[in-house]
Amino acid sequence: MPTILHPAASHYLGIPGVVFGWIIVVLAVGLFGYTIYKRLVLLKGAQADPRFSNIGERLKGLLTFGIIQKRQPRYLWAGILHIVIFWGFVVLGLRSLELVMQALGIPFLDPLMKGPFGAFYGSLKDLFELLVLAACIFSILRRAISRPARYAGSHQFEAYLVLGLISFLMVTDMLYEGSLLRIESGAHGWLPAAQTAAVFLPEANPSALKAILQSSFWLHILALFCFLNLLPLSKHFHIITALPNVFFRKLKKGAIKPLRWDVEDIDELESSGAGKIEDFTWKHVLDFYTCTECGRCSDNCPAYAVGRPLSPKMITIKLRDYAYSRYPVFGPGNRSASEAGKDEDESGTIIGTIIEPDEIWSCTTCGACEEECPVFIEYIDKMIDMRRYMVETGLAPKTFNQILMQFEKTGNPFGKPAAKRAEWTQELADIPVKILKDGDEVDVLYFVDSYGSYDPRVQEIARAIATGLHRAGVSFGVLGRREKDSGHQVRRMGEEGLFQMLLEENVETFQGVTFRTMITTDPHAFNTILKDYPVSFPVMHYSAYVESLVRTGRLQPVKPVEPRVYTYHDPCYLGRHNGLYDPPRNLLRSLPGMRLVEMERSRDRSFCCGGGDIILWHEIEQEEVRMAAKRIEMARSAGADCLVTACPFCLIHFEDAIKTAGLENEMKVIDLMELTLSTL
Amino acid sequence: MSDIYVVAEHRQGELRDITFEMLTKARALCQAGGHSLTAVLLADEAGALLPPLAERADKILFFQDARFKVFDPDLYRDVLAHAIGEGKPLLILMGHTPSGLEYAPALSIRTGLPIATDCVDIQLEGSKPKLTRQIYSGKLFARVVCRDAESYLITVRPSAFQPEESAPVQAEVVQLPLPGGVSEPRRTFIEYEDTSAGAVDIAQAPFLVSIGRGVGEEENIAVIQELAERLGATLSCSRPVVDKNWLPRYHQVGTSGKSVKPKVYLALGISGAFQHVAGIAGAGTVIAVNKDKKAPIFRAADYGVVDDLFKIAEALKEKING
Amino acid sequence: MDIVVCIKRVPLTQEVDLVIDAGKKDIRKDDLAYILNDWDNYAIEEAVQLKETFDGSVTVVTVGDEEDEEILRRALAMGADRAVRVDPGSQPLDGFVLSGILAAVVKTIPHDLVLTGVQADDDNAGVVGVMLAERLGLSHAAVVTRIEKENGTARLHLELEGGMDAVCQIRFPALLTIQTGINEPRYVSIMGIRKAGKKELKVIELGELGLSDADLLPQTQVEELYLPPEAEGAEIIEGDPGAIAETLLRIIREKGVNV
Repeated sequence: MPTILHPAASHYLGIPGVVFGWIIVVLAVGLFGYTIYKRLVLLKGAQADPRFSNIGERLKGLLTFGIIQKRQPRYLWAGILHIVIFWGFVVLGLRSLELVMQALGIPFLDPLMKGPFGAFYGSLKDLFELLVLAACIFSILRRAISRPARYAGSHQFEAYLVLGLISFLMVTDMLYEGSLLRIESGAHGWLPAAQTAAVFLPEANPSALKAILQSSFWLHILALFCFLNLLPLSKHFHIITALPNVFFRKLKKGAIKPLRWDVEDIDELESSGAGKIEDFTWKHVLDFYTCTECGRCSDNCPAYAVGRPLSPKMITIKLRDYAYSRYPVFGPGNRSASEAGKDEDESGTIIGTIIEPDEIWSCTTCGACEEECPVFIEYIDKMIDMRRYMVETGLAPKTFNQILMQFEKTGNPFGKPAAKRAEWTQELADIPVKILKDGDEVDVLYFVDSYGSYDPRVQEIARAIATGLHRAGVSFGVLGRREKDSGHQVRRMGEEGLFQMLLEENVETFQGVTFRTMITTDPHAFNTILKDYPVSFPVMHYSAYVESLVRTGRLQPVKPVEPRVYTYHDPCYLGRHNGLYDPPRNLLRSLPGMRLVEMERSRDRSFCCGGGDIILWHEIEQEEVRMAAKRIEMARSAGADCLVTACPFCLIHFEDAIKTAGLENEMKVIDLMELTLSTL
Repeated sequence: MSDIYVVAEHRQGELRDITFEMLTKARALCQAGGHSLTAVLLADEAGALLPPLAERADKILFFQDARFKVFDPDLYRDVLAHAIGEGKPLLILMGHTPSGLEYAPALSIRTGLPIATDCVDIQLEGSKPKLTRQIYSGKLFARVVCRDAESYLITVRPSAFQPEESAPVQAEVVQLPLPGGVSEPRRTFIEYEDTSAGAVDIAQAPFLVSIGRGVGEEENIAVIQELAERLGATLSCSRPVVDKNWLPRYHQVGTSGKSVKPKVYLALGISGAFQHVAGIAGAGTVIAVNKDKKAPIFRAADYGVVDDLFKIAEALKEKING
Repeated sequence: MDIVVCIKRVPLTQEVDLVIDAGKKDIRKDDLAYILNDWDNYAIEEAVQLKETFDGSVTVVTVGDEEDEEILRRALAMGADRAVRVDPGSQPLDGFVLSGILAAVVKTIPHDLVLTGVQADDDNAGVVGVMLAERLGLSHAAVVTRIEKENGTARLHLELEGGMDAVCQIRFPALLTIQTGINEPRYVSIMGIRKAGKKELKVIELGELGLSDADLLPQTQVEELYLPPEAEGAEIIEGDPGAIAETLLRIIREKGVNV
């Protein structure tokens, strides 16, 4: 058999292949470098964001979510396909490097590849090539035939193009190796891909084989570098940015970023919030770059599910497309949204132009999107930043004016006098609830918050909690009129200044009292005091505390619960944002006669009830059905006739939904504390 | 014996109700204190204005001039200042109305006489008046006294006093020209505009479903609109709803809106500020729904429900079908 | 055009049960929150909108103590350019005295237009604006619901009763008392208010104004405050919404309306 020259060693038009190799590589890498540099311009012009803390935790996350791709199988088939392709890339990386080195005439990998490792790797890479090719074909068919709904709005062409390119890369390498097999007969290991390709190649046609050999090699090299340069121009930029994005992920779930990470004194800021693309932090810009347009976020978004104009995926895609048009790789940017084809002012505002206000107000901050995203794109901070901009520039709904004024002047959204904040305690005739003054000492400071203090239905929960604490002999107290709203909603509405005001007043009040633990009525207050307040004392939601009281025997559930089928709804701010799925369930299971079923969407897939948030003060016109109504349906599908909640806002929304649907005889809602109390 | 002056308020050739209310109260004060009742009329012609006054007052000071065809606050200030200077009455009663608001305080500064506004009751202890007025939007009453003066200016709240028929008297009419030294007008009247004209005349409706601030937000109005339709009622509202541009002006009930006299007036989420309540004085039956049991509307209503208006609205919608 | 707006800070009484103090001449104020008088909010917004359209400046003035500066800063955040506070010390104030103090201050500020609210939410007297106009010798109009400025004049809508407006024309300089609903006052955030702290806020002691004893003698005085009598009022219907609805429908039908 004639020995064959490596395609890079052959001459074409008198020029050695390596020359072409070098030309291709230098041009492609140069172009790639330039593109990356241009992509970095916006990144560098964006706001600061400290993401280098807790390196250990970040590395662990990188391993779990980046390498092991733990979130991918949440959508099973898509997940498997993607893991195969991802691992294919990892394994085949070495092969690509080898081929490129050959094209450049740099043989430094030769010793490794000619040895026993090379033989092992040859088989491994062949296996993966076939797997990747199969996965690509499956993906193309799946996308084209079953058309998953969550892809609507994504750049479909890019998807097909890249899947096609990857397949092309696999095929060209298979043809290259296949033709080598045909040409160099002799011993070779198990090379399933090459052997498969060889089947299609002519047996004894040296010139044809040589042509195939050379063309498949160079096509592969060209395709490889086309692919490389395509990455930063498409949704497949994530191939480069996903691992860093995962590494830099937000570690403190549930917290909201400050106005600016690098500015201490917020009065120094000229403007606040995100009105222009440059107002986002560099991590947020990296998020835009990293979106794979998979649609898992929107697929789980409760706002999207009820017909609100919000689709988290489209927020990212629109902002990314806008960022690319404003900071293009080639040519001058469309410096304003108006040039990008929208009719607004030239200041580069994205609100009202790229993103409509109601898209932003539709969000309930439930976190389902962030929980799903395989590449850890953040949404909530961006939403809040855009809300901050809207509040400062008068684009917030007018209904907020009255509410915010009432928060400011009376410390609660109802405008009810602060003096009446502890009136709910008066109906507990035989239970003295201590109103704490400066210098008092108790075990537990019960932070009731505004709804618990003033809303008649939620007052019942507060009374249940106080009764429970009393029965357990816990020394506790409430702050009464000195308590101001925790500010959870205020911050998430975008009124940062007012939030800081409430925070400062509350923190000062806390400092006057000595206590070991703070418990709250609702998960929202729990979340914000734990995550947004600069405090270091232990904060718990009442469910965890009461669970511990039962566990340690200080409360003894003896009476059986009503004979119903119960199911537990994970509140967003207890579950997803704080990972507290089990304490409420443990508490429930400790109640005699408890029959507990799980809804299909439970734990981190829990479906938001509608929110203890903006929905209270601003209706979204396009909404077709209430989130709570959908959730009630889910409870019924699970076979339950009693829905247990640990959040007063969930309770209010569910009770309303049941009344509206006329299901009072078929479904009941009860608060966890009320249920527990009924068993004591 | 002194005089009590009542400044007649009129528009487009007709005396307004406040004039008769003030005359009734002034008559009572005159009878109790032995004073004489004088009506002060500034008009371009006697027309229909003079005879009703002539039956109720002891004397009429009728200032006649073409310039009085339309109301001008500067004119009223100057003429009344002159009249008060000449006649030195004990009390001068004026309406606490948009017109009254425009000249009465200026008159006080011009003459140096004390003024108490928006009074719902007037008592005379000898020659010292004791006024009753409301503060904090009707939450409290205040008894007010003025510093000692020769004359006292008082503006009277419309509908605070009920006009009563009494035996007619025959007034002595003193016709007077425009006094000298009256200033040139600094304001030109152009026209009247009826902003309450619209698709619907709530003043003619027999059944009104009315919403107030308690409706919360604009989007919720549709819910109540639907209720009104189901009940076959006309939708109306209180001032705050119009201020926020949620409903056009012609839906507004109240002193700055329309006075209505339906058989049934269902007030949802309306607090019952007096300006609104004044507009439903003629209603047959008033039913009020409000979350706040202390809302003033419950004083003005015949039936009350202390609950969330949306819950009641939903329940009403359900029960109508059944 | 240069505009001066006179504003007042009043207690927020919407959901509050007012308590009369021991002296029975005032209410207990220790539990109360304070806000900008609603009518004045509209007045400031109108002034700022006029300034934004026609250029010029807006100065806000209040008579009050240090805590009252809050509404001045709010006005500055809305777009006013400078603020003046007159500290009255312990001087008793009524409409007459207030108008005298304000006149002394406004005389020193160049103005084409002076705006006040129709009345204040606490005393509901409605006199300060027009008294001030008289003292300053300005043409005036009260209960204004629309201002259309032309050259040197403005076309005004004044709110009468029963949905009627009077349309008239007034020459500047003038004083207008502003009615609610004339515009939609903008929201100012806490941060917006803090940023406005950089704008000029001047404090004048009452003594500096050189007012006479006669000017500072209140015309009226509260003798006694009392709560409204517990009137018979409405017959309260109780029960769950369904039962209430049935009762209401019965009443409505009884009164001669077919539903």
